[in-house]
Amino acid sequence: MKYKALLCLVVILTFYQGAAQTRAKGLEEKLQQLADMTAKKSIIPLNFNKFKEYVKSPPRDYSFIVMFTAMAPARRCAICQHVYDEYMIVANSFRFSQAYNNKLFFGMVDFDEGSDIFQMLRLNTAPVIMHFPAKGKPKPADSMDFERAGIHAEAIAKWIQDRTDVQIRIFRPPNYSGAVAFATLFLLVAGFLYLRRNNLEFLYNKQMWAVAAVFFCFAMVSGQMWNQIRGPPFFHRTKNGPVYINGGSHGQFVLESYIVAILNGAVVVGMILMIEAAGGVKGDPARAQAEGKRRRFQSVVGLVLVCVFFSLLLSVFRAKTQGYPYSFLFK
Amino acid sequence: MPATAVAKPENGRNKGIFHNTAGFSTLITVTVLSLAWLAGFASRLFAVIRFESIIHEFDPWFNYRSTAYMVQHGFYNFLNWFDERAWYPLGRIVGGTVYPGLMITSGTIHWILHALNIPIHIRDICVFLAPVFSGLTAIATYLLTSEIWSRGAGLFAACFIAIVPGYSSRSVAGSYDNEGIAIFALQFTYYLWLKSVKSGSIFWSICTALSYFYMVSAWGGYVFIINLIPLHVFVLLVMGRFSQRLFVSYTVFYIIGLLLSMQIPFVGFQPIRTSEHMAASGVFALLMAVGALKYLHSLNPKGQWKQLLIVGGFLAAVAVFLVVVLLTYMGVIAPWSGRFYSLWDTAYAKIHIPIIASVSEHQPTTWSSFFFDLHVLVCTFPVGLWYCIKNINDERVFVALYALSAVYFAGVMVRLMLTLTPVVCVLAGIAFSILLDLVLREDEMCPPPVESEESKSLYDKAGKLKKRPHETPNGASEAGLGMNVRSGTLIAFMILLMLFSVHCTWATSNAYSSPSIVLASYGNDGSRRILDDFREAYGWLSQNTAEDARIMSWWDYGYQIAGMGNRTTLVDNNTWNNSHIALVGKAMASNESAAYSIMTALDVDYVLVIFGGAIGYSGDDINKFIWMVRIAEGEHPKDIHEADYFTERGEYRVDSEASKTMLNCLMYKLSYYRYDSGGSPPGYDRTRGALPGNRGFKLTYLEEAYTTEHWLVRIYRVKKPDEFNRPRLPVAKRTISTTNSVSKKLAIGPGTTTSKRRKGLLKNKPTVVKGKKVARLE
Repeated sequence: MKYKALLCLVVILTFYQGAAQTRAKGLEEKLQQLADMTAKKSIIPLNFNKFKEYVKSPPRDYSFIVMFTAMAPARRCAICQHVYDEYMIVANSFRFSQAYNNKLFFGMVDFDEGSDIFQMLRLNTAPVIMHFPAKGKPKPADSMDFERAGIHAEAIAKWIQDRTDVQIRIFRPPNYSGAVAFATLFLLVAGFLYLRRNNLEFLYNKQMWAVAAVFFCFAMVSGQMWNQIRGPPFFHRTKNGPVYINGGSHGQFVLESYIVAILNGAVVVGMILMIEAAGGVKGDPARAQAEGKRRRFQSVVGLVLVCVFFSLLLSVFRAKTQGYPYSFLFK
Repeated sequence: MPATAVAKPENGRNKGIFHNTAGFSTLITVTVLSLAWLAGFASRLFAVIRFESIIHEFDPWFNYRSTAYMVQHGFYNFLNWFDERAWYPLGRIVGGTVYPGLMITSGTIHWILHALNIPIHIRDICVFLAPVFSGLTAIATYLLTSEIWSRGAGLFAACFIAIVPGYSSRSVAGSYDNEGIAIFALQFTYYLWLKSVKSGSIFWSICTALSYFYMVSAWGGYVFIINLIPLHVFVLLVMGRFSQRLFVSYTVFYIIGLLLSMQIPFVGFQPIRTSEHMAASGVFALLMAVGALKYLHSLNPKGQWKQLLIVGGFLAAVAVFLVVVLLTYMGVIAPWSGRFYSLWDTAYAKIHIPIIASVSEHQPTTWSSFFFDLHVLVCTFPVGLWYCIKNINDERVFVALYALSAVYFAGVMVRLMLTLTPVVCVLAGIAFSILLDLVLREDEMCPPPVESEESKSLYDKAGKLKKRPHETPNGASEAGLGMNVRSGTLIAFMILLMLFSVHCTWATSNAYSSPSIVLASYGNDGSRRILDDFREAYGWLSQNTAEDARIMSWWDYGYQIAGMGNRTTLVDNNTWNNSHIALVGKAMASNESAAYSIMTALDVDYVLVIFGGAIGYSGDDINKFIWMVRIAEGEHPKDIHEADYFTERGEYRVDSEASKTMLNCLMYKLSYYRYDSGGSPPGYDRTRGALPGNRGFKLTYLEEAYTTEHWLVRIYRVKKPDEFNRPRLPVAKRTISTTNSVSKKLAIGPGTTTSKRRKGLLKNKPTVVKGKKVARLE
């Protein structure tokens, strides 16, 4: 009995020692493994076991940034791909930078491979980027807020610096797509001109230039630049059906700007029709005398276009601007 | 306004009727232009009538202050003026960092009037300068449009620009700013440029250069001219429209304009050292090369010269471009500055320059602001553009380029709507003029019956007398457009123009005529209450603080404090030093003790914050606060984190759910200290619609100095180091007993060591009780 107890004690002691050894070794080993994995791929893919082992289990002196995402095409997560690209840029920038060390690792959990991790962390949205600090549990601020910060690599890097004090200088792989597209366009235009070198009359086609210029004006005046910079939704869905016109004067939807461009265009077309019906700028009196009926009709069409579409424009504007008192034809 | 609305329809017709009576058409022109001037002037007076003759907003206060300085001390002293009242402790060299055109203009007017013994105060000149110049702008626009199309179109354009909100937004009475005179200079320079391209005379080119000089002295937007004119020349070269006239006018303009523009101290050597100006020099070199090739071509007009010309021109263009790029890389030429660069790369400012992105004028433009500022013109100016391109010539190339570039810039930045407005007026004037000219031209066959209702001027009757004999009752209407269509068109367009002028008046009156220094609020019964808190506060500063007191506030109010309070400020609206602004932002965003160390480092005596919670004023400092945090974070990323000021769900709140950092930062405390107004429950913030989360706290390092009637402006005095944390002793107890009672009071003081230190006692004199900074005392 006595011996048994002693044996037990010895066994327990050795076991403990062994456990302590594996634990102490575990940290170094883990770091080594993580460094190896990072060397292979700058974002470490994690499944449930790996996640538990590297991210959750205690002997850690490193921070872990984990992105939870759903990349499978069946999940239809359009933004996931964008976030993944940006996240990849951050991870690569860190991986190949001077500041690379064993204090920070980047990982990724895909929903289809680790849905139990999602359950464990009670996540029901993707993508999420979370920071698991070296000590303690993640705080609410340890998951990144895309809505406020945006999804740019710079924003992610700034957030990481905020959380871990590791400064990452973003090095974007130079984006050749723009340059390539530009070069292709240039080559196409040049090639086209070269092929048609004997027949360059079309360049003197004023109609074409005028149409291009007028369309550019429509695009700008209807706020396409605002759409480009602010990225509003196409239109807004509510319980009472879709809303196409933003209620405030400081915002707009993409569809709304198209509507406005069309209204503007209709007014311009109407006015040009009227001018052409009345004889055009060059003022050809001989032609002006002829075909009175057709021209009268054209003129009336132009007038109706101008009045109706301008009134529509005015009422849309009135709906957006509070307290605007004037309208024309329609309320 | 009715003056313009009535005046417009006639001029379209006067060409047809009075083309042989030059005197009459001149009379009409002069009448219409002076009516446009009058209408434009009158429509800009809303603020003066509603409030008083007062300088508006922020920047105008600086302009006014420097104008007053110049009038008092003379021009040369103004150029050498070092303003130690701004940007404490750095100061600002005013003479070298302003565009002096505005000050010189009003100073000259002041000098002339005083020479004529008309004793007018400089403030009144400053207030009314912009409305007066709007008339000159109308005339310049008339001249420009007449060069491009016809005099009738010119009159339309002049009437449009006189009242259009896109321009009157920057030129109401009291808005004493560079743009007020710069738009005139812009239009006039363009007019003279077209004149010189048309005539090819050195005289007009030199006039262009002089007008350009005035523009350079008036506004930083001169860069638009010095890029648009070279662009015009370049496009003309590409189109094969090179001519001796073009050569003469551009070379003369470029050389003289360059030399003149370098005379402005603020501009200095920029025209040869920065990328913004390189287009002009590049086109100059290219024009020289093309001129030389043309000359060679003229020596031997036969053979393969034409191809040589094209290839040579192309090579010259590439060479010039490469040289500019190379020089930029070598650092001889400064690259594009952030403000201009953000026009091309629209995401640039948002990421890199929060101080540019924070200004509401630098946001992109929605369609409704286009419509608000231009109304019917926005959907008619493409018609003018269409016909200008269809009937192209040298000067119409210019107006097309002007329109396309300006419409792009206006799309990127709300502020540049100002440069778009003139060209929109020109093109819409052309469109209206073409249409009404055609509709009214066949008058001789069938006069529209609407005339008698529509037009009341006197020559109208003369016109009828002339026409009646020619009238053929029925025959002509079969062939032409017919009377009904014609009159319908006329009526419809009269209504459109009337809507336009009504809209302009409404927009100018409601949106652009607020001085923003005096606020008005309307009660339920329509009664008006004037809130004059700003001037109250600045008046208090000027009367009750030391002459050299330093006031810390957010930069928006710097110019006003200097202009009205006449006190030293740390930062102001001339945002040239980002790190200094960030320091102020950091002080506002830190907690009290951290802010105190910054404030003592900056020698701050008073802190001024704007708080709109009591009256529901939305432009106050708490609403701007997030930008202070962002700008501070840009310079001090270690100490300030934007996320700390939001709730966990990322909301920006001030009530009890707000984050702890937010509730304890200096700006929050200064805004809500002792605040108990704002309706029920007391202390309710009407701007944010919330009850502040941190109330009833005490301030340790500052004390309230003054709060205006409606709580709008709150001024705090920064305590000296010996003033805070002192235990309050009743007078009776201020004698020192021999026991150790003093050190007992110092429980929060220097600690245990005090009891060991023996103090020497003076009779009837309280000891100096040294305090220690306590991290937080609530």
